[in-house]
Amino acid sequence: MSKHTIEMTINGRRHTADVESRVSLSDFLREDAGYTGVHIGCDHGVCGACTVMVNGEAVRGCLMLAVQADGARVTTVEGLAAPDGTLHPVQAALRDEHGLQCGFCTPGIVMTMAALSAREKRPTEEQLLNALSGHLCRCTGYQGIRRAARKLASPEPAESTGGDSV
Amino acid sequence: MKPAPFDYVAPATIDEACAVLAEAHGGAAVLAGGQTLMPLLNLRMSQPFILVDIGKIAELKGISRANGGTHVGPMTRQCDAIESKILAQDLPVLVQAIRHVGHHQTRNRGTVGGSITLGEPAAELPATAVALKATIEVRSIRGTRQIPAAEFYIGPYMNVLEEDELVTGIRFPEWSSGHITVFHELAQRPGDFALVGIVGALAVDSGRVARAGLAWFGMGPTPMRATAAEQMLLGQPLHEIDPQAVAESAIADTAPFDDQQASAEYRRTVGMRIFARTLREALRTREVA
Amino acid sequence: MSAPDSTTGTQAGHQPAARPRSGSGRYIGQRVPRKEDSRLLTGRGQFVDDITLPGMLHVAFARSPIARGRIVSIDTDVARDIAGVHAIYTQQDLAPFNVDLLSFYLVPPEVETTPLANGRVAYVGEPIALVIADSRPVAEDAASLIEVVFAEEDPVVTIDDARRGMPVHPGAEDNIAAQMGEEEIDEDLQAQLDGAPHLITHRVVHQRISQSPMETRGVVATRDGAEELTLYITCQSPHLVARWVSLALGLPQTAIRVIAKDVGGGFGLKNHPWMEETAVILAAQLFNRPLKWIEDRYENLIAANQAREQEMVLQIALDDEGKLIASHGDYSVNNGAYPQLSECNIAVHMFVWAAYKMPRYGFLTRGWYTNTVGYAAYRGPWAMESLIRETALDVAARRIGIDPIELRRRNLVTLQDQPTTSCMDIPLEDITPAECLEKLLQAFDVSAFRKEQEAGRLQGRHLGLGIATYVEPTGAAGAITTMTGELAQVRIEPTGKVTATMSTHSQGHGTATTMAQIFADRLGVAYEDVTVFEGDSSRGGFSPGAAGSRQGVIAGGAAIMAADLLATRVRQLAAHLLEAEVDAITVDDGMVHVEGAPDKSRSLAEIASTAYGEPDRLPPGFEAGLEAQYRYQPPPMTFSSAANACVVEVDIDTGFVKILRWISSEDCGTAINPSVVEGQIAGGLAQAIGMVLLEEVRFDARGNPLAATYKDYHLPAISDVPDFEFVHASTPSQSVGGMRGVGEGGAIIGAPALVNAIADALAPFGEVPVDLPLTPTKILGVIEGRDLRSKPDSDQHQFIAEHTAAGPQVEVPATAAGTADQTAAPADIRVDGDWNMVLSTPMGPQEMTGHFETDGQALSGYLSSPEGQMEFTGTVEGGNLKFDLKVQKPMKITLKYTLAVNGDKIAGKCKMGIFGSAKVSGTRA
Repeated sequence: MSKHTIEMTINGRRHTADVESRVSLSDFLREDAGYTGVHIGCDHGVCGACTVMVNGEAVRGCLMLAVQADGARVTTVEGLAAPDGTLHPVQAALRDEHGLQCGFCTPGIVMTMAALSAREKRPTEEQLLNALSGHLCRCTGYQGIRRAARKLASPEPAESTGGDSV
Repeated sequence: MKPAPFDYVAPATIDEACAVLAEAHGGAAVLAGGQTLMPLLNLRMSQPFILVDIGKIAELKGISRANGGTHVGPMTRQCDAIESKILAQDLPVLVQAIRHVGHHQTRNRGTVGGSITLGEPAAELPATAVALKATIEVRSIRGTRQIPAAEFYIGPYMNVLEEDELVTGIRFPEWSSGHITVFHELAQRPGDFALVGIVGALAVDSGRVARAGLAWFGMGPTPMRATAAEQMLLGQPLHEIDPQAVAESAIADTAPFDDQQASAEYRRTVGMRIFARTLREALRTREVA
Repeated sequence: MSAPDSTTGTQAGHQPAARPRSGSGRYIGQRVPRKEDSRLLTGRGQFVDDITLPGMLHVAFARSPIARGRIVSIDTDVARDIAGVHAIYTQQDLAPFNVDLLSFYLVPPEVETTPLANGRVAYVGEPIALVIADSRPVAEDAASLIEVVFAEEDPVVTIDDARRGMPVHPGAEDNIAAQMGEEEIDEDLQAQLDGAPHLITHRVVHQRISQSPMETRGVVATRDGAEELTLYITCQSPHLVARWVSLALGLPQTAIRVIAKDVGGGFGLKNHPWMEETAVILAAQLFNRPLKWIEDRYENLIAANQAREQEMVLQIALDDEGKLIASHGDYSVNNGAYPQLSECNIAVHMFVWAAYKMPRYGFLTRGWYTNTVGYAAYRGPWAMESLIRETALDVAARRIGIDPIELRRRNLVTLQDQPTTSCMDIPLEDITPAECLEKLLQAFDVSAFRKEQEAGRLQGRHLGLGIATYVEPTGAAGAITTMTGELAQVRIEPTGKVTATMSTHSQGHGTATTMAQIFADRLGVAYEDVTVFEGDSSRGGFSPGAAGSRQGVIAGGAAIMAADLLATRVRQLAAHLLEAEVDAITVDDGMVHVEGAPDKSRSLAEIASTAYGEPDRLPPGFEAGLEAQYRYQPPPMTFSSAANACVVEVDIDTGFVKILRWISSEDCGTAINPSVVEGQIAGGLAQAIGMVLLEEVRFDARGNPLAATYKDYHLPAISDVPDFEFVHASTPSQSVGGMRGVGEGGAIIGAPALVNAIADALAPFGEVPVDLPLTPTKILGVIEGRDLRSKPDSDQHQFIAEHTAAGPQVEVPATAAGTADQTAAPADIRVDGDWNMVLSTPMGPQEMTGHFETDGQALSGYLSSPEGQMEFTGTVEGGNLKFDLKVQKPMKITLKYTLAVNGDKIAGKCKMGIFGSAKVSGTRA
């Protein structure tokens, strides 16, 4: 099995390491980089707890190898609040709306909503709820999560900003 | 569970990737977006010796028009395909299908080619490729092949690729502007595999069906092309189409099975209804337009 | 802590100086933000997998791939040679500890339950060996190389199997794990049932449920010298775990500290440790290094204890007015092989008619051992009583032709009827299901709905309304050894801040919030100035934590009592220091005031600083410091009540159910924090939706679990759960503070409300059999009037457990199946000729024909399928065939067939490389 030297930016800080090829990004972030806010709920890509931002987009940390994130800009739930502790608007909305109970699924939910909110246009409620269907929460019955999403959503449907950039 | 050990390479070109595949003699697995392969690795259901990450091969990405058709690079991410203006114009039903693949988070890494190559029988994109009569372009150190999507799948997660071959493109033929799109997926929750799915397109010329492409997903061991229904529709004036009759002939081309989610009999019963309902609505939308 | 006389109390019924008002206070009753949230939202929570200790090693288990059999041999040699592997233990290594696991009641279970398999395996996933390695992946590499040979036996999987199958536990006479009630229905009761104008016989089948907390089980164990053991473990009460470990492991001399700061949900699964956790704790002692085991989701879905699988028949006799006459219940629950307690769920019968005027009830209740993973609690473990009663009442209403709401009004126990006792002698003083129902009906216009329903049916829209009412015993204390009162310890620090130590434990309950609200409210300080510490057995005193909807009731009462004791001391001291009457002293927002003397106001910090640091200024006999504690013993039981309304639309083309509206009207007495209360109800309701529509742990006939990932075990997603509307009745209870428990109710009442709504929608098509989950296939079957379900023997998907079980290989051909009676007449083992065979692959059956020719021990032939024909050579011995086929597609793998011929039947398996094994069966062509 091969080992690889990788370098990535995690929450704005450069991180270099040697990793085995089989190590997932979520395990790497937790165990090597120390960002234990990345939670592993299933390790098979369904529950969404391990969701992090890679180059600004929400992805499942368990469905990506650490070596694949070489050179990437990674943000975890630890990287959202301001240095003075002021919560990111997504975090504040979830707190205000009682959108969490045990808090295990929460980091993934925060990252999905934060990634969508970081786009040029505010996401619509439909876009947020659609993306949140990729997260499992066993505690809340999703009531506060949905209220938070509504709070964060723009009232108007966002226009597609896409193009054939690839 | 954590994956069994494997080596990892990320070649920069198709040729390099093909060389690795040839050398691995079947011990390699190709890593595209990884959104299906990674769970299999994590559950140790897949234990390759070497993982060939094709994510760094620039020539495998992107969407373009060529020779009157649409070329989709297999490493085009699903999220990028959804935003593609070319696809929105040429193949709106493909965009519609991709919107149903997995979840937002998996579409940010999952690729069009990965899903089509893998051939999960209940997945949207293999059936879409079959319905739209796509050609899978394949390369190995031995040369290239063009495989019609309808001949690509031989069983669940099984295809005709040789162990040294790599999918290098998916070519969709031109579907004339104004073609009718057909799509419906019945799934219990967003992101679940379909209990019943139908996808396709009807090209129209002078009020008659000039070309028909229809396929089921979740209705057999592979994407199931609705050949009899396609035949029945060909040449028919749109206003004379009897969706129920077409659905009855389409259901004959399915081989659904029982699983945790639904019984085979359920799939047959509901499949026929969904087909008729979807075709009826597609035709009605056309009339309104 | 202070001397008991002045600042502590322990007697039950010791009432606070002024009985607190129910409802809103400065903080009690307010929707304040939670204390827990800022760390959990920023990734600073501390779950067990977040703990890393110096020298810590990692554990993985090798588990049984078969449901039942004798272990012939365990070979760990190859596994032990892997670099990074430190040790591999089997039960033989752990046996000297002489540990027998204990139930929640802290008694040994009915059947000997060892941490690792003891010579036999009794369910797929049973841990057989424990590997200690540098990392989890390496531990798994080694576990997969442990070779176990079994003499496989036919398993007992379902309750029905258990009734007639071979006893699961050797030496037992049958599979009954527990039984209560009468096997024959009492003659008088039978006569009442037979003679009634209406007799409803209603059957409910409830599927098996995985509790599925988002954080799986896990433990970090470190033995620090001979006398100290520290456990970080995900649990529902660190105190209960400490007590359980001390007793189960026989460690009376050991200082055990259990820490569980943040826990990602429990729902009954994490009441106390079980096999794996115990094995890890013992292994940490044997190997003398800190060990970590974090269950993965695959393990959680196949090998963590599960819940609910049960069936019940309820007979109800009614008169023509719909008045209840008599009833009988026959209940069975699948206990699995090693249940956390041998359970026949007597609570189902105790509470089935508690809220109704039912004159007479008889029952038979049994728990059954099977070769499946063991039983454990799940939110509202006795919930079957509400599910079967409420759905049966709706059947009765339709049968008799009475409105289901009217039927309930005629039979529910109202406040006017109380005090009274139920037919099962449950004393009732203040239950309010009838009042909750009336409040619900104020919020929901039933007659408008009925009009909409009628109009909808004409347009092919099938709407349904489900109403359900219930009561729930909460905050029980005193009847079970582990279900105790609660201790609260609180102090005003010299800084004026309030610090409390509680034995509450949150797996999402937010007890650090609700308890802080109480302290702030009762002590007159800002909520922000209160900190509640919990989640550590070295703090507070014994309590079972989260179990039985008890923390709000009991810990809330304890917090009030302790706070009031402390408030009294503050006033005494302030009166002395400020030269005022005690009655003139008030404390508000951290300031101490003297009535009518604003210039005498002082900060609480100043008073507190004096209390600790200036003993000379204290009143005579006043104990220094500002501290108090109180252990509150509540009334034996505190009932909560509720009524729910659910509106659905059923798509009659597809059998899909869409929930359109859901109103919860509940009475949980004083709501300390309505957002927390609603969060508990909503979470329970979502779980009920999962039980009715989505979730199911299934097994094939060989006991292989069929839902081993979240792709197959469907938890409700955000799209499955509607916006819930809440109505609160808030009738104060008899307990201090007036709280009633709210933890489990949603999961109990949600299921019958939803089932009733579906049944109401489909009433034109006939009754809906209550066989959960109500999948689209089952619902469409009701609509179509034909059974659309798969045939029982067509379960083709028996692959997952065998595929992915980490470790042991089954080396016994399927037909040798353990029963191996060597003296039986020789089997017909003619191999030569053609066979029609089916390969049961994960994705469905593959038909093929096989042609075999034998020459002595040499075998040759071909397999033919639509994909083509492939030839092979192999060996044959006494009807047992072995041959390999090399396949190129979809990838280069070798298919290894092991088959056995018996008469005109052939059976066995095919190992398909990375795809695991598939069963092969067939008959002579």
